[in-house]
Amino acid sequence: MNPLSEAHLQLTRRQFFGRSATGIGAAALTSLLNPDALAALTASGNGLPHFAPKAKRVILLWQGGGPSQVDLFDYKPGLEKLRLQELPDSVRSGNRLSTMTASQKKFPILPALKPFKQYGRSGRWLSELLPHIGGLSDEMCLIRSMRTEAVNHSPGVTFCLTGSQIPGRPSMGSWLTYGLGSLAADLPSFVVMTSSDREKTCGQLFYEHYWGSGFIPSKFQGVRLRSEGEPVLYLNDAPGLDRAQKRALLDDIASLNHHQLDLHGDPETDTRIAQYEMAFKMQASVPGLLELDKESPATLASYGPDVNRPGSYARNCLLARRLAERGVRFIQLMHGGWDQHRNLSTQLEIQCRDTDQPTAALIHDLKQRGLLEDTLVIFAGEFGRTVFVQGDVSKRDGHGRDHLGSAYSTWMVGAGVKTGIAYGETDDFSYNVVKDPVHVHDWQATILHLLGIDHQRLTYRYQGRQFRLTDVHGEVLRGLLA
Amino acid sequence: MLKFFSLFLVVGLAPAPAPAAPAPAPIDYTHDIRPILAENCFYCHGQDATKRKAKLRLDTREGQLANDVVVPGQPTESELIARILSTEEDEQMPPADSHRVLSPAQKDTLRRWVAEGAPFTPHWTFSAPTRPTPPAVRGENWIQNPIDRFVLARLETEKLAPSPEAPRATLIRRVSLDLTGLPPTPAELAAFLADKKPGAYERLVDRLLASPHYGERMALPWLDAARYADSNGFQQDGDTFQWIWRDWVVRALNANQPFDQFTIEQLAGDLLPNPTIDQRIATAFNRNHLLNGEGGAIPEEQRHVTLFDRVDTTATNWLGLTVACAQCHDHKFDPITQRDYYSLLAAFNNVPETGLVGGSSYKVRTAAPVLDLATPEHKAQLAAVEARLAALKSDELLIKLRGDWEAQIATDETFPIPALRATAARPAKERPELENGDLRRYFFKHGLAKVHPELAQLLADLARLKVDDYPRVMVMEDSKPRDTFILDRGNYETRLDQVSFATPEFLPPLPDDAPRNRLGLARWLMSPAQPLTARVIVNRHWQTFFGLGLVKTSEDFGVQSDPPVHQALLDWLAVEYRDGGWNTKALNRLIVTSATYRQSSRVTPALLERDPENRLYARGARIRLPAMVIRDQALAVSGLLVDRLGGKPVYPYQPADIWDSLAITKERDFTYPQSTGEDLYRRSLYTFWRRTVAPSNMFDASARNTCKVRTAITSTPLHALTTLNDPTFIEAARALAARTLRAASFRETRLAHAFRLVLAREPDAAEKKLLRTSLEKQLARFTTDPAAAEAFLTVGAIPRDPAFSTAEHAAYTAVCLALLNLDETLTKS
Repeated sequence: MNPLSEAHLQLTRRQFFGRSATGIGAAALTSLLNPDALAALTASGNGLPHFAPKAKRVILLWQGGGPSQVDLFDYKPGLEKLRLQELPDSVRSGNRLSTMTASQKKFPILPALKPFKQYGRSGRWLSELLPHIGGLSDEMCLIRSMRTEAVNHSPGVTFCLTGSQIPGRPSMGSWLTYGLGSLAADLPSFVVMTSSDREKTCGQLFYEHYWGSGFIPSKFQGVRLRSEGEPVLYLNDAPGLDRAQKRALLDDIASLNHHQLDLHGDPETDTRIAQYEMAFKMQASVPGLLELDKESPATLASYGPDVNRPGSYARNCLLARRLAERGVRFIQLMHGGWDQHRNLSTQLEIQCRDTDQPTAALIHDLKQRGLLEDTLVIFAGEFGRTVFVQGDVSKRDGHGRDHLGSAYSTWMVGAGVKTGIAYGETDDFSYNVVKDPVHVHDWQATILHLLGIDHQRLTYRYQGRQFRLTDVHGEVLRGLLA
Repeated sequence: MLKFFSLFLVVGLAPAPAPAAPAPAPIDYTHDIRPILAENCFYCHGQDATKRKAKLRLDTREGQLANDVVVPGQPTESELIARILSTEEDEQMPPADSHRVLSPAQKDTLRRWVAEGAPFTPHWTFSAPTRPTPPAVRGENWIQNPIDRFVLARLETEKLAPSPEAPRATLIRRVSLDLTGLPPTPAELAAFLADKKPGAYERLVDRLLASPHYGERMALPWLDAARYADSNGFQQDGDTFQWIWRDWVVRALNANQPFDQFTIEQLAGDLLPNPTIDQRIATAFNRNHLLNGEGGAIPEEQRHVTLFDRVDTTATNWLGLTVACAQCHDHKFDPITQRDYYSLLAAFNNVPETGLVGGSSYKVRTAAPVLDLATPEHKAQLAAVEARLAALKSDELLIKLRGDWEAQIATDETFPIPALRATAARPAKERPELENGDLRRYFFKHGLAKVHPELAQLLADLARLKVDDYPRVMVMEDSKPRDTFILDRGNYETRLDQVSFATPEFLPPLPDDAPRNRLGLARWLMSPAQPLTARVIVNRHWQTFFGLGLVKTSEDFGVQSDPPVHQALLDWLAVEYRDGGWNTKALNRLIVTSATYRQSSRVTPALLERDPENRLYARGARIRLPAMVIRDQALAVSGLLVDRLGGKPVYPYQPADIWDSLAITKERDFTYPQSTGEDLYRRSLYTFWRRTVAPSNMFDASARNTCKVRTAITSTPLHALTTLNDPTFIEAARALAARTLRAASFRETRLAHAFRLVLAREPDAAEKKLLRTSLEKQLARFTTDPAAAEAFLTVGAIPRDPAFSTAEHAAYTAVCLALLNLDETLTKS
């Protein structure tokens, strides 16, 4: 290593990340190329992780649109007797509704569409629409008392993923890669994949700020792995330029850059040379990641037939495991289609079929390979749905449920969380939390905790303030920790 | 009360100063003390009365002196010192649960401050700057203008020497990229190198300042601050006509409109007497915010999101203050109260807007109030179409046509979408609502044209003339007076006290005769007594040229801001700018003609260690160019650039499926409408900016969702992939190669020519050798594989020139691609 780079590396981590014009590169380089160097930097720098982590990485299975906890997770046997009776005003009072039902005159109760059944040794009640996920009930940490302030999708997703309803703050994956660096030798540390429901029924879109880095440097933003065209933007060489030629070209660029570096001495040039090397490596590692021919037929089959369709949720689940194996720190799958205002009775079952088996297969697959021990898998959406009907219940395809922020369900499996528990309770209508409320900021604080991070101490100074994922709120939910 | 024994011990154990350090300078409150107090104490002992513990304030002089908290000159009598040194859990400050810890050095600094008499100065940015006298220096002959006196005086104190002036070739490239965002042409380079008369550099600067491309370059940071985009964001993400405002910005900058006017017109042009069209267009600044078109969005909530955004943007952009905290409570660090926040908000609360966006099925979606900019010709065309439609179209006709079409497709085996066919085959009453909707949309999009082409054409013309092509820009207007209230924790549903428009209490008051509206606000922002605007803006200009502002936290000048190394220089520039009539081109000229700016950017390991961020300016700036400038440069050096100013956004190369994820919104088509011809090669400033999916090759850019005045420049492999593989750069390399092949016939001359076009300098001997062997390698490979060469030359819309041999052209293209990817090319040095 030349003396310039050494001098540069002696700066503290905080100086690197705090610098706005230059200097980010060297830290980025270190963290991207050499995990040990990062560990050294971290140990002497900002003291992360703050304590021994339980999880090294996260797989977030985002269920966009607001899955209906009434129909899937929050068992309320008493509702059957109240079918189509009016939901008492006292239950609804104080909760905002979206403008889609705010002016609705009647609020008839609609019990779960399909029966619930008991799963596993714990006898957990879950919908019969989720046979595979149900099979995990003894390992699952189910949270039935989630709460959010948002009543609409984009602000709701933004809130869960960035801690604020307004776009502009770093996303959870950015915070984690900023705080913990990378474990991957030749892949980005934060990867995002998206899929939509089969029917593309609702306009729940995935915006870049859901994996954006907000005001922290953009090297921490998620990299989207695309299912069509180039898997990563601009990954493919130009037609006619083969690998050997590209290698030669990069060598020539590096020689010319080294020549200048010797003259002007700016360590950023060193960084750039290394980033070009890393780009070259990624051009091999990403296609390798996507080649599934080494997967056994049994593994492929476990994810269900959809695994053969690029861009499907099932395929993305399998790729999530492959990314986890390769050291990617934060893997964010975003799936849409749960926004069932009018098509609950026609789409819920299809939507469950598409997600149930692949989700469970991913978890079994991780477990089989010993990866679940240090991986946290999260299944969550931005809010839940109302027990009352939206639309005309007499039309099979003309009714559903509206958004509900005051109570909903999510679950986690894996490193550091209790197994086979159900945390929190809602009232008889799955409308308000009555025990152990879990606010979105608490949920975020707990996720950070499992990665060895004190959510109050992972901060970034911007506009004169120390910002954090959990804003000024959030408490770690000790009751969820193993 | 005091624990003399333990205090004595702790002080006795305090680490000795580092051996090489000079004798400690006297403690300075602004630099040494306030940052410690602000970071560690103000949260509980600052101005937010609701959070204040023990009725103690440490942010004011009165608070510090009350109850012997600080006894000047007497650290052992001061409660503050006792508490920070205490090791007892119930006495120690800051308390353990605050997660804040003072280092031994910080404790010692506080103790020394009290011992030295605890001098107190109000935060420096909160009183108006007065013009400091540029200091005397020993190295008089280095001085080009007063900026250099401040810089050199400090370097002399630090026993550092400035760097020599950069070579002329470096200088012209640096200053051309800085002032116009474009590299010098070979002719411009030659002219500058040949100009041996005194003042050659100043003449160059004056030429660049007069260039129409100056406004395009200087608009870039302003567009980031103004969160300018060409779409609304969120679901639906409708397009807008806000580019009309973008063109206004470029015009105003090129005309060197004084910054006070520039401000007043953007914040309150509509409130000026007899406002011109341009003055009303200027107010679009405050309509560049996000707009949520989502189905369930609550109008009043969304309207408040917009109001908060206007307050935050105004405060960050002009005052360098982060006021968003005061939405919910008094600011923890800065003297901004919640009342101040809502009193500012009152200025923006009279706009006849709902918070929602109209026109869900159209491409363009705007929200009132808008300024109608349609020409009489446009209106006449529209009226003609409407008249024709009125005569032709009726509900009965449409019902009949739809019935005919449905009957047709129900039995048409070749109809491409079986699901729609099945729906059409069912009686209308039995059709599911969603599927019927799909059928209806398909009918209007494709079916009608089959059964009644004329009507379909007229409806398409109507949509285009009435909405999608109807020029209108969202602007400000105060025609809906509303009462403004303090909102409990920022919640629009819970109102507290009513307030009326006022500026923050801690800053100079509004003049008595000032209008109590946006115009009053705008004039107040630009008034000489107001201490922040001039400093904030001057600092951002400095940031454009040097990478970092003199105050590094260019978005924050509050008490938590970065203490500048060169406060006097910043104040001098601020006064110069303010008292000189807010002459922006003069300010830019002053900066780029300074000896400070003209220095070489070479750095030694010793200097790098001493001053890694270059805050002492013992060398010139070396910074990676913004992604937009990198693209523009590639287009310019290859000769592809179409440098026409202004107009509608364009759609240069992006992956065809880049907007596909938005296509779930069925109301409109989200196919990326890639431009053809000249529009592929316009400056990046004109690239359509979709908020939800930013242009794919604009890395490290602001997302244009909220006001952003500082962007971190990073270096990642993804950037390398972009500049190596994006068709933009491959086509530019091919065009550059062709340009080179045309210009000369010998290998050596050609390579040198390409190098000069890209880097505005001659390659040295080592570089010539490297380029030659690079070319030879590429040529050997392409000669043996002509098909590969052919394929490599197909990237991009412009066909290759068949006059050149395929292998040779391809090999030069590869080398030119390398040139476009050199660190030096991507960097301003």
